[in-house]
Amino acid sequence: MRQGLDLQGLSKSFKGSPVPALEEFSLSLAPGSCTAVLGPSGSGKSTLLRTVAGLEIPDRGSVLLDGQDLAAVRPERRGMAMVFQRPLLFPHLNVLDNVAFAATIRGVPRRRARADAEAFLDLVQMEGTGKRVVSDLSGGQQQRVAIARGLAARPEVLLLDEPFSALDPELRSAMHELLAQVREKLNPTILMVTHDRDEAAAVADHLAVISEGKLLQHSTVQEMYTRPASLQVSRLMGGTNEIPGTVRDGVHYSALGAHALPGNHQWPEGPATMVIRQERIILLDEHSPGLPAVVTGIRNRGPRKLVTMEAAGVNLHAEATASPALATGDAVRIQLPTPELAVVGGTSEHRSAPLTSPDWKVLA
Amino acid sequence: MPAAEVLTARTRPRPRTAAGHGTKARVQGLLLAVPAVLLVAFVVVGGSAMVAAQSLGLMPLVGRPELSTAAYTAHGGDLLVGVGLSLAIAGASTVLACLIGFAAALIMMQGRWCGKLVAAMSSLSIPVPHIVGAATAGLLLADSGLLARVFGAAERWPDVVGGQWWLAVIFEYAWKESAFVGLVVAGTLATRSVDYEETAALLGAGRLGRLRHVLLPLSLPALIISGTIAFIYSFGSYEVAWLLGRPYPEPLPVMALRLYNSVTLTARPEAAAVAVVTAVVSLGAALVALACLRKIPLWR
Amino acid sequence: MAITLPPGLNQQTLPKDAAQSGLTRSRAGGRILRSATAGALAVWFVLPLVPLGLWVFADRWSYPAPLPQDWGLQNVDSALSRGAATAFAGSLGLGLVVSAVATPLGVLAARSLAFHPSRWSAPVSALLFAPLALPAFVAVFGLNVLLVRLQVPSYAGVVLVLTVYALPYTTYVMRLAYAAHDIGFDEEACTLGATQGQVFLRVQFPLIAPALARAAFLAFLVGWSDYLVTLLIGGGSLVTVPLLVASAASGAGNDGIVAVLSVMALVPPLGLLLGLTGRRRRGGWS
Repeated sequence: MRQGLDLQGLSKSFKGSPVPALEEFSLSLAPGSCTAVLGPSGSGKSTLLRTVAGLEIPDRGSVLLDGQDLAAVRPERRGMAMVFQRPLLFPHLNVLDNVAFAATIRGVPRRRARADAEAFLDLVQMEGTGKRVVSDLSGGQQQRVAIARGLAARPEVLLLDEPFSALDPELRSAMHELLAQVREKLNPTILMVTHDRDEAAAVADHLAVISEGKLLQHSTVQEMYTRPASLQVSRLMGGTNEIPGTVRDGVHYSALGAHALPGNHQWPEGPATMVIRQERIILLDEHSPGLPAVVTGIRNRGPRKLVTMEAAGVNLHAEATASPALATGDAVRIQLPTPELAVVGGTSEHRSAPLTSPDWKVLA
Repeated sequence: MPAAEVLTARTRPRPRTAAGHGTKARVQGLLLAVPAVLLVAFVVVGGSAMVAAQSLGLMPLVGRPELSTAAYTAHGGDLLVGVGLSLAIAGASTVLACLIGFAAALIMMQGRWCGKLVAAMSSLSIPVPHIVGAATAGLLLADSGLLARVFGAAERWPDVVGGQWWLAVIFEYAWKESAFVGLVVAGTLATRSVDYEETAALLGAGRLGRLRHVLLPLSLPALIISGTIAFIYSFGSYEVAWLLGRPYPEPLPVMALRLYNSVTLTARPEAAAVAVVTAVVSLGAALVALACLRKIPLWR
Repeated sequence: MAITLPPGLNQQTLPKDAAQSGLTRSRAGGRILRSATAGALAVWFVLPLVPLGLWVFADRWSYPAPLPQDWGLQNVDSALSRGAATAFAGSLGLGLVVSAVATPLGVLAARSLAFHPSRWSAPVSALLFAPLALPAFVAVFGLNVLLVRLQVPSYAGVVLVLTVYALPYTTYVMRLAYAAHDIGFDEEACTLGATQGQVFLRVQFPLIAPALARAAFLAFLVGWSDYLVTLLIGGGSLVTVPLLVASAASGAGNDGIVAVLSVMALVPPLGLLLGLTGRRRRGGWS
């Protein structure tokens, strides 16, 4: 009976490191779900995966799979397969025998193990490469084979440790496609680590944001963007708009005036920072209804533009399509649609200081 | 190093095509190896050729050169016995060295204090000259040696040194070469084996499964190479068998040295013949090892 | 061959720290078994050296006493009176000369193999490794005639043969070092404004220095450890510690002297080894 994967209060510190790699980390994954763990580098993502796999022993806390505590279960008996950033295909085996490895270990007769492996090679669209030497394959092909090898072990949980980060963007989307197919056909519970927000959003149905070993938020992808639990999450998800103010009766009061918050949520009273995604701010010309603002900077982001504005002393960012011809100093009107608003507790502490620009005078 | 050298050093180690690289530079590159090549060719090729010529009677100390295989047949029986004895000693000590060395490499890979201890102890024995190893093995294993004293064995102590089974000789080779094999194998395993082991474990391989399906195949090339080097060394080495062995039968190098130092006029070609046989067997062992390596996909 | 040496002798060969890994976590039984194996291996590697430590200071140790009856330094005196000091100097000189010749030649050959691959590379490296497959006495038997006819001084002959037997090691070590040498460092230094001389002095040399030290050490060991080549080509004119050890050990009742001479043969290479390892530990070399 599948109950999914349950992580309870995992803590882990490494010798010689002042900050714990994991601190009281708890997370529940439904069977068949795909959760992406998102966090900056050094946030403990990989340690989390290795702890789940049994490669690291947690100082405290437990890993439960279908209700069974895995503390005493050695990595090889946990029914988890892991795909690392590097494919790590065994160099002494050919492609097919790599995929057949798990079966060989279990003592399955060679012929059957290979037939089984062929099926998994087909699944990752690598049919016909079985006889080849591992080093003949390209990086993307090797990673496909590594995924096939992991899947052929029939894992209940598939752990992916930044498996696509070494691939170029095109290959990466192909791999995302592949992962979607794998989920459709085999439906393993997937726990994936990445530092790429877009990848997380493309692949996973749930996100877990981790920072300094602590779980900041676990929710659906959509919620992570629209209802961040804290300023830190909002920033880690790439949010840039933070409007300090106070919440009373479901309305946020700030220098920008009163904004009613979405009614489907109980917003706590008191000082709070309102956040809104830069993609969601509506940018209009100066004769339209809305809050007046002045453009203070424009940066090109490929087909879109990131417009920096000031409205009533508050700095705001909005993504605009390229069409309106905006220039620095232009007056505009903005609208903040109620469904896109969210507040996070407390006043906005100052953002970590931006990098000071170098003193260009030395070059003169 | 001349500046031109540094200059040429800058455009590498990308695989280069002839296009980016003129003939002149190619010749210069080749010239770098010439001093080493000349020396080695002089000693290896020249030495082998001369020894072969001597064995065939083409370079007698006195008298006319005359092609003959007499030197090979003069001690026919002893020569064959010597080949067998040398093969047995080298084979036994190489097998022991590989087993012990592989075990030591595995322990070294575990890290922790035991790995560090074994690594330190094995590197301790590496710079010991073989003649010193033989001397100290004698002090340890002879019938008046340390072990006989400690166990109070007196007359019951077996003939380890100079005995029928060449045990002290095999012990000395196995001791020195196991450290050699262990460090070579540990060196190749150290780089990536931890990752491969973890991957294998997550695919369901237990300790024995990882040993058999991952660690052993990964170390096989290093084992074959270091084992072959150890084998050829113990097959062609003189001082250990001379010091710790018995007078008869003789392993090939001991026989060769005795004939070489003999005052008889015919002895020089006979010594050369024994040397040629030793060289041919050594070369054969090297070729067999290369053939084995070629069959391993890991070796390219 | 003169001796078998692992090319990575004083390289860091151990994994960073596998101690905390879940893979090596052991149950009590496994831990005891592993500790026992490690202990047995440590004894295996060290035991043969134990008699040396006792005999060196044993003025009187008659059979069957398990420990020496009288301790002292008489053996050291006897060894010195047999010319141990001269032999020590001879060994040291031979080791240094072989190292001084074989290291630069190995560097040049390795540069050629690493940076100028051609169709000659395969035969060249095959030839350079050939000494590993040819017992030294075979080459010496053949060469002795040649060296005498060419009137090569015996010392030069000994150095020549030992250099050839050290070349596989120096070439291999430097070849590996050059293969791992990332040309990007040199290019980066150039774009930062370093001249070619500076690139060599400040970038290339520091990067290959550890390998250079390793190669020189292995070549030194070949010269230092040799017995047979020195005996056959030197013909007694060159006395080294291994020669004294052999003559003492082949006689009876010299156990104490053998021990002193053996310890003399062990101290310099072990000191060098510790020095090399220590420098690496202190972070002097990467």
